[in-house]
Amino acid sequence: MNAIEIRGLSKSFRGMYAVDHLNMTVPVGAIYGFIGENGSGKSTTEKLICGHLVPNEGEIKLFGREYTDAGVRVRVGALIENAGCFPGSSIYQNLMMQAINLNLENRDEEIRRVLKIVRMEQHASLKFKKCSLGMKQRVGIAMALLGDPALLILDEPINGLDTDGMRIMREILVDITQNYGCTVLISSHLLGELEKIATHYGIIRQGKMIVEMSAAELEGRARVFVSVKTKDLVGAKTALKAKYTTVKEEDGYLRVYDVDDTESIVEYLLQNGHVVSEIKKNKIGLEEYYVELMSQPTAQKEEK
Amino acid sequence: MENVRKLKFESPGFIQRLKGMLGVDFYRLFHTPLFYIFLVISAIIPAMVSAMTMMPDQSGNTMEPLYSNVWQIIAASEPLYVIRSIADYANMNMVFIFGGIMVSIFIGHDYKSGYVKQLFTTHAKKQDYMISKSLVCAFAMACMCVSYFIGGTVAGLLVSYATDVNVGSLLIAILGKIVMSLGWASLYTFLNIIFRRYFGISIASSFFFGTGILIIGAAAIVENLSLPTSFLNIFLYGASVNACLVSGIGSLLICIVVSVAWALIYNLLGTRILYKSDVY
Repeated sequence: MNAIEIRGLSKSFRGMYAVDHLNMTVPVGAIYGFIGENGSGKSTTEKLICGHLVPNEGEIKLFGREYTDAGVRVRVGALIENAGCFPGSSIYQNLMMQAINLNLENRDEEIRRVLKIVRMEQHASLKFKKCSLGMKQRVGIAMALLGDPALLILDEPINGLDTDGMRIMREILVDITQNYGCTVLISSHLLGELEKIATHYGIIRQGKMIVEMSAAELEGRARVFVSVKTKDLVGAKTALKAKYTTVKEEDGYLRVYDVDDTESIVEYLLQNGHVVSEIKKNKIGLEEYYVELMSQPTAQKEEK
Repeated sequence: MENVRKLKFESPGFIQRLKGMLGVDFYRLFHTPLFYIFLVISAIIPAMVSAMTMMPDQSGNTMEPLYSNVWQIIAASEPLYVIRSIADYANMNMVFIFGGIMVSIFIGHDYKSGYVKQLFTTHAKKQDYMISKSLVCAFAMACMCVSYFIGGTVAGLLVSYATDVNVGSLLIAILGKIVMSLGWASLYTFLNIIFRRYFGISIASSFFFGTGILIIGAAAIVENLSLPTSFLNIFLYGASVNACLVSGIGSLLICIVVSVAWALIYNLLGTRILYKSDVY
């Protein structure tokens, strides 16, 4: 069973497709990193899953049930665009409203529990409008966590946060996914952050899903390369290009792609009169994979 | 993935879902100042109208009092579908005007704050939202009617108006107007669903419908067709003014039937709109 299964989902606004016959599969228990450029259709897809938007066509199933099923929807927690809290009410009051909405028993206990998870237990009485951006995002996560959700949908929860806020948010996300075991769909532009926690990825462009893969598949697909530093980068590059297919200069290093034999590179460069001052093996990360994918023409990506 | 739990999904029944939604709305009603501000407004307005009529004008003459009887502040002496003077208008029916503004602010804040997203994420059934808002806003407007009654009575007694009245008719008039709160609240909820993206238009439309201005057109049609004026009681405004100081039990029954019927119509229409259109 999949937590989310979407087939042929479309949504248009004034004739323009924001989501265009999208297919998506999120396995139960996954932390699904949903990646795409601004306006690629990430938020629209998330809003469609949450029932905020009415699709033009397509099918959405959550845990094998229709997404309109009341039983499954009470187990969905979402943070979409903002926390959805009343600014004049305190954090506690906002959480209490959501706890009442979900018909939770032991509401006070449950509120304290989620506040502890998001490290906000000291700020329960603070008015929501007095919270910083990072605090607001954490309150939003707390709202989504109320009532033991089976599926969490988080739209850009890290964006706009400072370094410390980002660290706290990452710790919270790791905590809730590892210790509370719910499926998480998380969209973010901060791929480095996402790479630390995601088990699956979906890359969307112009409303279409380009590629879906697990973190293990990404690892398998990732190109290996060797970074080399020499005094004469231009000369070394010319020499390497004569033997290796792809050689690029990046941040003062030469990258020799699809090779992991460092010894042969050092030996080859020495034979050509270049002394290697630094050399290391590397693998392309999510960010580079994404950039590479986005730089290809659309048709080629769809073939992939 | 190793942390996957055994998942159980139990569909909450209608009563359980409504309990949750009503709980949130009542919690919000009692924990934010909006409701209390409108209760105070409801009490102050009849007092202000009464006091204004007792003030001397620029030449020092006291104005002609609007009312001759305390209870005319609460309800008109007879069913007046088209008003002749401000006194015909300035009674408990005014609650339905500023009650509409309160409903617009109450529902508008759901959308403005984004809380509506939380509600619609967890409540797949859109009728929960319509019913809950209609019921809670009807309760708030009923409380405003009581507040208006207290304010009007105190003000009327302070300015020494006559107090003779048919107590049964007075009670029926008050009860009738309280019952009408459900129909009015449903109308305002419906209007706010239609204009949910435009807060200003929501308030303006609530005010416009609350004034009962449309009854003038309906009254003209009724007159042209030589129908009895009681035909106007099928409208919310008509039934509301029909609850007056000469009302009998029939007026109360009309209020119940008309209020419930319009509440059903607006709830059905509102739910349909919510299902067919995007939340925001």
